[in-house]
Amino acid sequence: MAKKELSRQKKFDTRIDFTPMVDMNMLLITFFMLCTTMIKSQTLSVALPTNEKVEQQDQEQAKQSEALTIIVDGGLKKATVEGKEIMMSDLDKSKFYYYDGQADLAAPNMKESNMKGTGDGTLRYIFRERNKAAIDLIDKEKERWRKGEISEDEYNEKRAKIQDDSNLKRPVVMIKPTKQASYADVVAVLDEMQINNISRWRIETLSAADSTLLKGLGVDLSTRK
Amino acid sequence: MGKVKIKKKETRIDMTAMSDVTVLLLTFFMLTSTFLQKEPVQVITPPSVSEKKVPDSKLMSVLVAQDGKVYLELLGTKDSTLKSEDLREAVLKKAVAKYNATHTNKVNLTAKHVEAFRKSNAFGVPISNMTKWLDMPVDERDKALKTAGIPIEENFDLTRPTEFQIWVQAVYDALEDAGAADDMKKGTGIAIKADAGTPYERVQVVMNNLQTIKMNKFSLMTALKKEE
Repeated sequence: MAKKELSRQKKFDTRIDFTPMVDMNMLLITFFMLCTTMIKSQTLSVALPTNEKVEQQDQEQAKQSEALTIIVDGGLKKATVEGKEIMMSDLDKSKFYYYDGQADLAAPNMKESNMKGTGDGTLRYIFRERNKAAIDLIDKEKERWRKGEISEDEYNEKRAKIQDDSNLKRPVVMIKPTKQASYADVVAVLDEMQINNISRWRIETLSAADSTLLKGLGVDLSTRK
Repeated sequence: MGKVKIKKKETRIDMTAMSDVTVLLLTFFMLTSTFLQKEPVQVITPPSVSEKKVPDSKLMSVLVAQDGKVYLELLGTKDSTLKSEDLREAVLKKAVAKYNATHTNKVNLTAKHVEAFRKSNAFGVPISNMTKWLDMPVDERDKALKTAGIPIEENFDLTRPTEFQIWVQAVYDALEDAGAADDMKKGTGIAIKADAGTPYERVQVVMNNLQTIKMNKFSLMTALKKEE
């Protein structure tokens, strides 16, 4: 009996309870997940002409048959939120009007289309059709890159070269936002141009001829609030 | 006689593996993340398919809120040649000096003001109110920022720059002094971060202001496009 008592040694549990440790870690993970950003914003590069007179020549060039004018008209409207008057935009209602070459008052050549949607009248279709020569060449290079015949750097270099090839028929896009156009509308057009490899574009203001043509389509800018 | 032994089941779960996983996740988050910067207004950028990333150094971001208010955010170099704080200090001194040269109501900065400005991530109050703004406690400063914004208007006259142009020029000069203005020249160092719902007119005012001071190359900040 006594012998048994002696041999009883207290057995220590060597395992540590990790539950509080896990609790703390979870808390820290939650903190980091909520307070940090992982997605970096993307950027679109923009190069505007200088304000000097150098662009005069450029402008005249753009008046040739390659010009494509896009009049961006958004769904911006005034709304009152918490007592403050702000502009609200409805991208689904955004529209654009376009014509090739110069505005023709005698035979109105302006067409209307929706910013969103698919099919014939979309921006993508219009740009793709106008820039077909360059896109076809770029698609060929892309195919070669996919097959591993050229590297990505080579592809990008070739793409840039084709975009700037003055021998090809490439459009010069004139973007003219109305007062109802939102920033998102304009960026959407810039984005479509990037997709369709159009490198020549500029942002301009509406001309009198544009307003007259718009009126012909039932859009009177002067009566808008 | 064999007694029926009932096996005692251990009810405690071994948390070691769980702890391993959480520590791993924690390390991952700590190493990959950058902290969200406090911005005076919430700006939701429009989507685009562009894959170019915003640089994380030598960057001046122009925040344009829906109502057209403009704020600036500055990032210095990655190494210690020109830290963001030092850049802010240099920019503040240059901008105020330029402002004082053309205005009668001079702004006098103290060391305390400069110290407060070094720590403010985004700024955008009229220069005449600068000292008053910097005297405020931090949380009030954030509140005041929401109703302020850098004064800006259509301007093609280089001799009478708008306050926005004074600031941008100051940023350029400060970076140039440190030999780090190349990104701004190329246009990758200037990012316009405007809200998707901003009327385009208001963004155009910012672009025209930049164009007038011969910074006609810049980038527009966009978010990743979702597939529709």
